[in-house]
Amino acid sequence: METKIKSACETCAYFNAEGLKKLGINTENFDFVVALAGNPNTGKSTVFNALTGLRQHTGNWPGKTVTRAEGGFEYNTQKYKLVDLPGTYSLLSTSEDEEAARDFILFGKPNVTVIVADANRLERNLNLVLQILEITDKAVLCLNLMDEAKRNNITIDERSLARDLGIPVVPTSARYNKGIPELIQTISEIANGTIVCKPHRIKNVPENIEKAVKTLTAKIEKEFPSIPNSRWIAFRLLEGDAHIINALKSGEFV
Amino acid sequence: MNNYNPITALILFFVITGFLFVLFRPVKGWFWIVKKNFKSNEKIIIEDILKQLYHFENSGNRVDMKTLVQVLDFNNSRIVEAIKKMTINDLIYFESDILKLTEKGREYALKIVRVHRLWERYLADKTGFSKTEWHDRAELMEHQLSYDETERLSAHLGHPKFDPHGDPIPTKTGKMANVNGVELPLLPVNTVGRITHIEDEPEVIYKQILAENIHIGSLIRVTENNPTRIVFLSEGEEFKLAPIVAANLTVAPIEKEVVLEDNIARLSNLKEHENAKIIGISKESRGESRRRLLDLGFVKGADISIDLKNPLGEPNAYLIKGTSIALRKDQAAKILIKKE
Amino acid sequence: MNKKNIDNIIELSNDLRWQIGDDFHDNLTESIYADAANIVKGTVRTKDSEKHFRLDSKIDKIVTSKAFGFPIMFLILGTVLWLTIVGANYPSSMLANLLLDTIHPALKSGAESINMPWWLDGFLIDGVYLAIAWVVAVMLPPMAIFFPMFTLLEDFGYLPRVAFNLDSLFKKSGAHGKQALTMSMGFGCNAAGVVATRIIDSPRERLIAIITNNFSLCNGRWPTQILIATIFIGAVVTDSFSSLASLLAVIAIAVLGMAFMFTVSWALSKTVLKGEVSTFNLELPPYRPPRFWKTIYTSLIDRTLIVLWRAVVFAAPAGAVIWLISNIHIGNESMAAWAIHSLDGFGFLLGLNGVILLAYVVAIPANEIVIPTILMLTVLVTGIAGGSGAGVMFELDSMHATGDLLRAGGWTLLTAINLMLFSLLHNPCSTTIYTIYKETKSLKWTIFASVMPVILGFVVTFLVAQFWRLFF
Ligand SMILES: Nc1nc2c(ncn2[C@@H]2O[C@H](COP(=O)(O)OP(=O)(O)OP(=O)(O)O)[C@@H](O)[C@H]2O)c(=O)[nH]1
Ligand SMILES: [Mg+2]
Repeated sequence: METKIKSACETCAYFNAEGLKKLGINTENFDFVVALAGNPNTGKSTVFNALTGLRQHTGNWPGKTVTRAEGGFEYNTQKYKLVDLPGTYSLLSTSEDEEAARDFILFGKPNVTVIVADANRLERNLNLVLQILEITDKAVLCLNLMDEAKRNNITIDERSLARDLGIPVVPTSARYNKGIPELIQTISEIANGTIVCKPHRIKNVPENIEKAVKTLTAKIEKEFPSIPNSRWIAFRLLEGDAHIINALKSGEFV
Repeated sequence: MNNYNPITALILFFVITGFLFVLFRPVKGWFWIVKKNFKSNEKIIIEDILKQLYHFENSGNRVDMKTLVQVLDFNNSRIVEAIKKMTINDLIYFESDILKLTEKGREYALKIVRVHRLWERYLADKTGFSKTEWHDRAELMEHQLSYDETERLSAHLGHPKFDPHGDPIPTKTGKMANVNGVELPLLPVNTVGRITHIEDEPEVIYKQILAENIHIGSLIRVTENNPTRIVFLSEGEEFKLAPIVAANLTVAPIEKEVVLEDNIARLSNLKEHENAKIIGISKESRGESRRRLLDLGFVKGADISIDLKNPLGEPNAYLIKGTSIALRKDQAAKILIKKE
Repeated sequence: MNKKNIDNIIELSNDLRWQIGDDFHDNLTESIYADAANIVKGTVRTKDSEKHFRLDSKIDKIVTSKAFGFPIMFLILGTVLWLTIVGANYPSSMLANLLLDTIHPALKSGAESINMPWWLDGFLIDGVYLAIAWVVAVMLPPMAIFFPMFTLLEDFGYLPRVAFNLDSLFKKSGAHGKQALTMSMGFGCNAAGVVATRIIDSPRERLIAIITNNFSLCNGRWPTQILIATIFIGAVVTDSFSSLASLLAVIAIAVLGMAFMFTVSWALSKTVLKGEVSTFNLELPPYRPPRFWKTIYTSLIDRTLIVLWRAVVFAAPAGAVIWLISNIHIGNESMAAWAIHSLDGFGFLLGLNGVILLAYVVAIPANEIVIPTILMLTVLVTGIAGGSGAGVMFELDSMHATGDLLRAGGWTLLTAINLMLFSLLHNPCSTTIYTIYKETKSLKWTIFASVMPVILGFVVTFLVAQFWRLFF
């Protein structure tokens, strides 16, 4: 099913429509790994299908996807492996249903993380977005369900959102293939380092916690100088997350 | 199949099922009873004696053989035998007829207490057993965990310092944190404090406290205190306790000026078309379910209203941060709100 | 990396954790949400959002109302089942005509013309091919109707409302409202239903949902129910009511399945699963108009592929086994006949017979092949000519002929009813068993989930048989 992508960006300078090839389940010899994360029912699987040409099941209820799915696409002769993850409300819990997503974002080391958010419920979705931004600094926010937002009379200032979050923001309506070219272009630019993100870090943390986090972060960074998410690990250690403690012991972070 | 007859077949069937039922029915099945009796061996008696002695010494009481035999639920001759063995192994000694723990005995006793309290913590945080069952289950488990298993359990729980009743858990080196606070009847009217400990013995009183839905960690304000009753506010409800019951609650007064809102209500009391703001989640909601509520956006300051009433009464769907989320009544009762 | 340093870090984190107190998680989540609120304040603008939400909440008010909530639910379920049952007949018989009556003889004569040895021809064409053909002819049409309809409901956003309405019943039996969703997935395929239980975030309720998913009649069992009900139950009443009577009988079995699901859930939560944590939350998504044609197209294509794949992987070897056991002889009896005779006594006690029990053993890989196996084995033991030789799976073209054959094999109304009950209450198919193992990672629960339904099936059919014989 090759749907012709019609969008304003098709004609614009940088999106190269000929450069896109949907590879279906073929994920061999990929150059980059891209993860699709986000709250449940925000359209991750729909984005996944739009990019890979696969037919991953979608459904209008939270928790449709329960196992991770992989697919591929090629853009400008570079191959991307795309991983569709189950939806999660947060990465802070230890509940089993969120394990698959949590582990992949943290240990799968994706080159780019696409965070799919529901434009109608941005505040709720930002909870997860801000957490992911503590873990990785190569992320793009895919502001999905824009058609519904428009119907609900919600307008979002994408530029200032991007500035606040420190990552690119791409509005999409994945179900109608709107905004997908821009998303692909942005993914490739982040993967190739053309766009460098300066992600938002969680503020407003009570003083006593911030102090503890700082102490711990300093220790962690001394031991693992190249680690990008020491602050997140500090959060998890303070929580007593056995999973992370074991990972630390076995050196999975390096 | 020659002498087949549906009635014989049925009778045979009911006899067999009846027999299996008597054997295996939960708790009272013969199989379980035999299994349990088989397990109450000498080790358990010794450990129970050590634990009792430890608790008696802590509360400054002296124990002779007679009181010991009274509090323990074992055959007398087996107790005597165990005591003999314990003196030989240098766990206890006699001072005239008073029983005393040796250093080694106290260490051993602390280990048992540690397992007991850790296990209660585990039951509270990671399982769904009701509070009334915690103690009995921990009584069984304290004899079963090895040193290594205990350490792993402690790590798994994040090395907690207090059990769910607020009692300190001894560390592996035998150190213990202090419980802050004083018994509730000693607090003057208008004191604001946090419940830090609920004594779980005697059981009658403990059950009464549980029935009142009072729990550790909640803020209270004393509104009346006289020899006949003690009245206090907590989580939007008023509680009236007899002094003897109230004495089982330890409360740490809070120095800082914490404003204890007066018109707090529980989310389960919210009516349709009413708006409210969330004040917090009761300490009664623990572990995974508490985290999940927070993740879903039930955080301090969030606006909330009823989105949908359920045709069967529960769960109701609440509109929170732009999404409709259904919660059961017992969960909604643990979310504290302030109506607008 | 220095192990001692890491231990130090962990030690330090333990200390700090106790210094900052047990409100850490609360505080952290609150700060994140506070950040989120700040960001949203500066970037999102909403103009009278009331309008749109109103339509949504109007629908919600109706489908969850006291008066209409439940009737609407049953109406929808009834319609979906009715369309599936009635609508599947026609394509089903067309496929059977094509695959069994046209292609099969053609293959046979083709094999003859190239002088294929009789055993190879029997093994491949009568065994493997027929098994696949049967599965395709019988399973594909109901699936092709049921799933698109179900997917449309799913895309619309109705399913979470079902969970919402029913949760209080599930709660009473110690289960989770989302089990309503996984049970409906189980109507299609129990293995899929078991995987879907991952949406239940509470361990105890999830385990309950996994174990009881088998009480949802799956796609492989619907055809059995429909066929037997049509032949035997439909025959009890006058012709004009026979299709209604059989529909009601099938629905009764499905509802009985629900009743068993609730009872077993309740018993589990009160005994073995006591003390597992239980939490609940259910997000109700907004309604979204489904994209009709796309949904139908994709779910048709997907289901076809899955069904074909399953047919090849599971039904084919089963077909081969059936052919083999009917053609390998021990003494002067085939293995199949020998097994049937030894199972007959037990079968009689249950109001069934040896043929049915053997068929259920053979059909462990795929429930779909129960009926053809039964027919084939019946021919084998009764010696009635009707099929095409020992161990050849087939479907008799007319219902009448099938009914006559079964009656000749000693079937009564009791056998039919008990077969329908046993088809509801027996072990899950091998795919589902494997899936249960993968999801629970526990041998104990896998065995329990596999054995418990069969025992229930034995007990229920046994009791029905005895009382039936007492009173009739
Ligand atoms: N109107 C509209 N609907 C969309 C859009 N994207 C997705 N949907 C619909 O939203 C619903 C959820 O989509 P999914 O792709 O299954 O969502 P998901 O994020 O994968 O959900 P989980 O797997 O449950 O985490 C489906 O019914 C989609 O058809 C969009 O851009 N516009
Ligand atoms: Mg999905």
